[in-house]
Amino acid sequence: MKKTILLFTALLALNSCQDIGGALFFAGDGTYEFTNDNLETGYLVNETKIHRFETYSENDTIQGVYVGDFSQIENDTIIVYLHGNAPSMDNFWSTIGVLANLNEQHHYGVLMYDYRGYGKSTGTTVDAASMQADYNSVLNWLKVRGLTSDRMVVFANSLGSLPAGAAAAGNSPITVEKLVMEVPQSSADAILQGATGLSLPSSMITGYNFDLGSDMANYPGDLLWMHGTADDVAPIGNARAAMAEHQGTYYSEAVYEGAGHGLRWDIGNEEWSRVLLDFMRE
Amino acid sequence: MASCAPTKIVAPLEEGAWQAGATLGRPQINDGSLPMLGVYAAKGISNARTIYGGAGLSSSLFGAIQLEGGVVQGITEPVGWKPGLSISYGANSFISARNADLRVYPDAGANMYWKKGPHIAHFSANTWIDPTWFLTRYDQGQLLAPSLGAGYRFRYRWMEIQAEYKFVNPTRELVVPQANVPGINGLGGRGFYYGIAINF
Repeated sequence: MKKTILLFTALLALNSCQDIGGALFFAGDGTYEFTNDNLETGYLVNETKIHRFETYSENDTIQGVYVGDFSQIENDTIIVYLHGNAPSMDNFWSTIGVLANLNEQHHYGVLMYDYRGYGKSTGTTVDAASMQADYNSVLNWLKVRGLTSDRMVVFANSLGSLPAGAAAAGNSPITVEKLVMEVPQSSADAILQGATGLSLPSSMITGYNFDLGSDMANYPGDLLWMHGTADDVAPIGNARAAMAEHQGTYYSEAVYEGAGHGLRWDIGNEEWSRVLLDFMRE
Repeated sequence: MASCAPTKIVAPLEEGAWQAGATLGRPQINDGSLPMLGVYAAKGISNARTIYGGAGLSSSLFGAIQLEGGVVQGITEPVGWKPGLSISYGANSFISARNADLRVYPDAGANMYWKKGPHIAHFSANTWIDPTWFLTRYDQGQLLAPSLGAGYRFRYRWMEIQAEYKFVNPTRELVVPQANVPGINGLGGRGFYYGIAINF
């Protein structure tokens, strides 16, 4: 009897196990000072075109920023930017400035949002389901305003590649036809295996079993992959293997020797913009 | 999760003696270290052979049942400055509480130790064997996951205190996203590992 109670208690404890996924999300506060004061010279925007907006994801409020004209969402080509693993979208505002100046100032509309728990978005990002719900919420907001597949480019930076991969594989309210993966991760299994040196599956520590290789194998659209060979956050070997599974209509890659995870800063805005623009015009 | 405890038994226990203890591994990450907790029990089944079993508590917290078991076999006894030698072999298992994924890693090692009264100093080398290295995503597996350690333990009557510095997996780079894993020339990991046990 004692043994049975002990075993039951142990199993109960294990069933309430923690998910390390939560510890890997670096969500934090945001100030949302989206002004030209925080943009790089040469990449300023018309401040009247900066709009904050909110959407609702399950029981949480998602905060977003759109640079462009709301009234032209039904006509403009729009870049949906899924940011990386930093406390809030504040950290990526300068990138939005560069995107808003691709080709010419405000040639494209640019949208960015905070995943739940990041910045002023409420709740907590915990897994694939929460990231998917947040993405769907924002995409539905765009869809209602008239955005269509042929005028949408999804740009995913690092952590943003997780929801972007799933979306490209078919889980998107607006079908993804053009996808940019900048310094993407690869798979949850690959991360745990790279950290331990053992063949442990990610199920040992998390329920968030993302797999961008599998997502890319199921993505039929255009793909641009951008990466640096000195990236110590998202190892290039794994990312290359994941992107190589893409079987879609068009594939392009831009790999930079010696560049790290902050790719745009390492290669410069001019080169970064050139590669991106070439892909968008393809 | 791999080799994240001090070497369990260096000098075999006396026949019939038991030892039960808790371990704390502190592999370095960034400027701090991870707390890897474990418990174990060992029994001397002869003066030269000790068996042990243990469980990883930190792994359990995140949803993996980590169990291990093995044998430490004394080869030679230390005499003066001439070290004693023991070898070990066993296995480590991980079972996911989420979906029952299972991995088993046999291990083998050797300890060179000096013993004077209650003081035991040792150098230890151990390797985990990964028979499912081919299941890794993107071919990043390898058959062996070695570790090297140097330590001291104080074994006196009913208690034992252990401290060891270990280098884990120095044959490959360990990558944790957005974190730095200090190793040797960019390879493997390292850290202090502690243990406290009672003898009875």
